[in-house]
Amino acid sequence: MTSPVWKIHRNGLFWLLVAFAAVIVLHADHLPSWILLAASVATIWRIQLYRSAWRPPSRLIKTGLLGLCLAGLVVEYGSPVGLEPMVALLVSAYLLKLLEMHHRRDAYLVIFLAFFITALDALFDQSIGNTLYIIGCLSLVLAALLGLHSTDADGGQLRPLGKAMAIMAQALPLMLLLFIFMPRLGALWSVPMQQQSAKTGVTDTMSPGDFSRLGRSGELAFRVSFEGAIPAQQNLYWRGLVLAEFDGRTWSRSSLSPFQDSNLVQWYGEPPKSWDQLIERKGEPLTFSVVIEPTQQRWLYALDTPKPDSEGVGLTRDYRLISAYPLRSKKQYRVNSWPEHRLEPQGLPPQHRKVYLQLPEEFNPRTRELASRWRKTVSDDLELVSRVLTLYNSEFVYTLQPPLLGKHSVDEFLFDSQRGFCEHFAGSFVFFMRAAGIPARVVAGYQGGERHPDDYLVVRQYDAHAWAEIWLEGRGWVRVDPTAVVAPQRIEQDLQSVLGSETDFLADSPVSLVRFRHIGWLNQLRLQIDSLNYNWALWVLGYDQIQTAFLRNLLGDNSLWRIALALTGVGGSLLLLLGFWILLPRHRERSRDLLDREFLRLCQKLEKAGFPRQVGEGPRDYAQRVAESRPELARQLVEVTRMYEAMRYAGETPDARTLARTIRSLRINRSG
Amino acid sequence: MISPFRQFFQHLYARWLGHRLPPARQIKLNTRSLFIFPSKAGFSFLLLVVLCWLVATNYENNLVFGITCLLTAIFVVAILHSFANLSGLNISCSRVSPGHAGHPLTIELVLQQSGKRLRENLILAFAGHEPVAIDIAATEEARVKLGFVPASRGLIDPGRLCVESLYPLGLFRVWTQVDLNIRCLVYPSPQTVLNRRTTASSMDADEGLMVQILEGGEDFTGLSDYRPGDSPKRIAWKQFAREQGLYTKHYGSAQDERLWLDWDAFPGLDTEARLSRLCGLLLSIVPLDVPYGLKLPGLTIAPNTTDSHRLQVLRELALFGLSDRGGER
Repeated sequence: MTSPVWKIHRNGLFWLLVAFAAVIVLHADHLPSWILLAASVATIWRIQLYRSAWRPPSRLIKTGLLGLCLAGLVVEYGSPVGLEPMVALLVSAYLLKLLEMHHRRDAYLVIFLAFFITALDALFDQSIGNTLYIIGCLSLVLAALLGLHSTDADGGQLRPLGKAMAIMAQALPLMLLLFIFMPRLGALWSVPMQQQSAKTGVTDTMSPGDFSRLGRSGELAFRVSFEGAIPAQQNLYWRGLVLAEFDGRTWSRSSLSPFQDSNLVQWYGEPPKSWDQLIERKGEPLTFSVVIEPTQQRWLYALDTPKPDSEGVGLTRDYRLISAYPLRSKKQYRVNSWPEHRLEPQGLPPQHRKVYLQLPEEFNPRTRELASRWRKTVSDDLELVSRVLTLYNSEFVYTLQPPLLGKHSVDEFLFDSQRGFCEHFAGSFVFFMRAAGIPARVVAGYQGGERHPDDYLVVRQYDAHAWAEIWLEGRGWVRVDPTAVVAPQRIEQDLQSVLGSETDFLADSPVSLVRFRHIGWLNQLRLQIDSLNYNWALWVLGYDQIQTAFLRNLLGDNSLWRIALALTGVGGSLLLLLGFWILLPRHRERSRDLLDREFLRLCQKLEKAGFPRQVGEGPRDYAQRVAESRPELARQLVEVTRMYEAMRYAGETPDARTLARTIRSLRINRSG
Repeated sequence: MISPFRQFFQHLYARWLGHRLPPARQIKLNTRSLFIFPSKAGFSFLLLVVLCWLVATNYENNLVFGITCLLTAIFVVAILHSFANLSGLNISCSRVSPGHAGHPLTIELVLQQSGKRLRENLILAFAGHEPVAIDIAATEEARVKLGFVPASRGLIDPGRLCVESLYPLGLFRVWTQVDLNIRCLVYPSPQTVLNRRTTASSMDADEGLMVQILEGGEDFTGLSDYRPGDSPKRIAWKQFAREQGLYTKHYGSAQDERLWLDWDAFPGLDTEARLSRLCGLLLSIVPLDVPYGLKLPGLTIAPNTTDSHRLQVLRELALFGLSDRGGER
């Protein structure tokens, strides 16, 4: 029934463009800037099209624009696989389609694209603020859809938004119901991930300067809730990666097959692998659960020595935790950790020993020479370790702004600059140990964290840390943190207590509230916001895990048919209620109330004149009684009463205004 | 091959509709009379929901899952809102302005509601006619005029009225096809009898009559025997054609002013053509304020000039020879 030449009307276009702007702004932080420019051009063009000031783009121009967008995407991203290119492609389609709305179905396409693009933003950011913004965007897009179908009446510009909000509000209970009851399936197939990894974060290689860069960022890494007290600050070593291979400059994960994650992983729920016996766990474990921000990587962080307590998490051969899938969004996992433990105290397998002693030949001759010299003078390994740590303690400076190092980075650091961040200390220490024949490895992760008053721990990027582990006969793997020797406050308190005055600290987070920790009320605010965000994350993320248990409690057992029954039962009654509310005319009630109000006004008027209404006296009797003593009012009183009764009880169309006017015209003088 | 099937199903549908929504002067739109089904956009929206669900599942993202649930819930709630936009309306036909076959006539409908709900973008149309979109604002009654072009004269049933709405989200089409028992009185399509370009000498009898009326400006008083020298314009060709002899018409003032719209004036033409011409003639005469009468086989209406007379004449032209006379409504 649509006419062949369809033209969007003003209100419809208004909401379409508002929604368009909101969706573009929503994605602005991960869209190339030229798309934002193109979006503004498209908006202006669209408005000019509506005003018939400009002509619609010709086929040639459209093809050109499409080509330009595609070329821009290729230049920007290179590969089309990935979340950002996908979103950017959809956004380009969205803004090009905006210029090409010849039929109502084109407008539908634009709006449905807007819905989809809005939903995709939830993959990038799931904070409470962004969630609210997404909901706002959805309301605007819904208003745009409504605008297409409402009429273009003047004064009705805001009506679509109001109606959209009402529909959203009415949809909310049903949405919660679906959210609670709908079973979650695991990933059906692998999907493109975000290409740019998070701006900051621990990576699986360590070169000088990597960790000092993290010191510049106050971004959240993860939050931890302990069941029980939070351990002492100096024991919070969040182990994430083991870096065993050194190429002279960069430490990286071993490329040898026993150390690849795909091998030798003991997943949660699997029977223990043979190497599980090499771990001696003693005492009571610590239990904690971690909510980690998306890293696009698989490794997870935990205290020594961990055992996973969540589906999809595994323990690797070098005693780290990994996730079954890269962390594309926030993830929550539970861990049991035994702080008292011994790892492989009986001996290292020869091929492991070889890996943990590997060093490139042509680098750092001075360190090698010193190591072999000291080796000869000490009686056991521990003495050598303490001698090296003493060396660090005497001369070295801990700083976020270490000088650049040349080819023999360890030599230059140990003998010349003697200024460095944790990676310099950990790297040189492990190098020294290996040169002296002690198996050693670099461990990367986080150290410490901020205690939130609500009893959880917040670990930020500037808590990133690197330390060393050495293997000692009879004791197994032992953690040694050379940084703790140089800057003990770093371990006992946090980075800010050591480097807070350095200009580079938090340099990448200029407006981070962490910066203003010393201002009391601002700090309070910051902690409250964090608490809110954490609880939100727990609620949204934790649902997967608690859904099963919750449904079992609620329904007795969570078989599919029970879920379906509950869903249709509760959902059906919800809809029935909503249906009554929407479909039944309520306005009669309201107009009835208005009539009663007018009648009461009449009663007050008469009461003032000395004729109070008696209890249980009907309107007609009342009027008659008054009329007998005031015959001059009789005609008007009878008329008003008749009108009221007819409208109120006899089903005549209620018209409170006329009634009010008649009552107002009633002039009653006080009876003498 | 498809067409007979289609016809068959259309026939079945019409029969079923006739049972479900029998003709009535006033029809209240409710669960019985309203139909609702997802529109094309509605199905596309479901596709969108499925896409969002796939994203949520594959990225294991609870927030996208929540959005998927919200969109689904919106879809369901939209059913109620779509339905509410039409439900509770009373539709009746208030007036049908008569018209001529082949020319648009207007049918005025009244839409009433008991509440004060704002109903937006209701689309009304008779099958095959231009739809009209209206809003029913907070008033309790709205009137809408619909165009309808009847194909033939008589008491014409415009067919079922289609009322539909896509409001608020376009995801559902709510519609009804009601038979409001409307009968339009349709006069014959007027055929212009007068052709101003023709000259007197080439005039047909009926045209001659017209020209005399229009050009003479005098009143026709009577006929006399033809005498040579009389103007050929004044020859009563009609009588001549009936082989009644040659007469000359006389015009004067304030004598017999009566004119006859005569079925027999158009020999050799079929019924509809005659009625069309009579109708056209009537329309030309009316502005002249001359008394005119109607002579149809089996019916004679005495000349008069009143409005009701005109309507009666038109009515007889409309219904001549038809069995359905609408109970002389």
